[in-house]
Amino acid sequence: MDIISQLQEQVNQVAAIAFNTFGSLQRDAPPVRLSPNYPEPPANPTEESANFAEQPKLMSAALVKAAKQFDALVAALPLSEGGEEAQLKRIAELQTENDAVGQELQRQLEAAEKELKQVQELFSQAADNCLNLKKPD
Amino acid sequence: MATATYPPPPPFYRLYKDYIENPNSCPQPPPPIEGTYVCFGGNYTTDDVLPSLEEQGVRQLYPKGPNVDFKKELRSLNRELQLHILELADVLVERPSQYARRVEDISLIFKNLHHLLNSLRPHQARATLIHILELQIQRRKQAVEDIKRRREEAQKLLKESLGTLDGN
Repeated sequence: MDIISQLQEQVNQVAAIAFNTFGSLQRDAPPVRLSPNYPEPPANPTEESANFAEQPKLMSAALVKAAKQFDALVAALPLSEGGEEAQLKRIAELQTENDAVGQELQRQLEAAEKELKQVQELFSQAADNCLNLKKPD
Repeated sequence: MATATYPPPPPFYRLYKDYIENPNSCPQPPPPIEGTYVCFGGNYTTDDVLPSLEEQGVRQLYPKGPNVDFKKELRSLNRELQLHILELADVLVERPSQYARRVEDISLIFKNLHHLLNSLRPHQARATLIHILELQIQRRKQAVEDIKRRREEAQKLLKESLGTLDGN
């Protein structure tokens, strides 16, 4: 995939990781005590609370890794200096050079085809002479 | 179950009755459209250009101007994005009802990022064109060299064969 598409994919990846992080943390977070008037919420020691402490760490590590990947891709951008006008000038130069080389190629091709026809003509004449000189016995 | 009938084909075909005898008696096809046109009630344009962010009603976070330093702006937008995500996490912990503003900021940053990347595409197209032209020039030069070489070989062979024939 070309580098710009990779960059676009990486941006979407960062967005996906961000909203997955917030979504699952909000969904899975254990209840918290809001005010001293209400009793402590019942702490169910299910397997959630054991694994849950690592979720933020893992998810934020993934987010940072994706962001670093984006930075690496940006560094790899082959952005040539000069902007639009320099590119257009280069295109015009290449077009004239292409035309010149194309005409040269055309000339060489025509000369080679002419020589080929000459050789073919001579060869057919020589073959005819050979056939005519052979005496039927 | 009633099946709907399709609409009949447009009646222009009657105008082309004598096309075989006289192609000029029949109307010419319409010329290609330029500029904007209306198709099924929607406005389309033939001028394919990336609409700027202001036209879409989105604030532009990176500086405008003729030459934008893409790498620098992309990197700084990335840092801004990370900071805003962190801010969102903080707001959700302390003042959860104020998430909307932060989420708006994050989506603004994403829109700017994508717009920057899209405005890199014309540059990429021109660079691809340059690359293709260079390859073509190289191939043509190679072909010219090959033809020259073969012609010289053929001349050499002919001279040799002439010498052999004369020797006999």
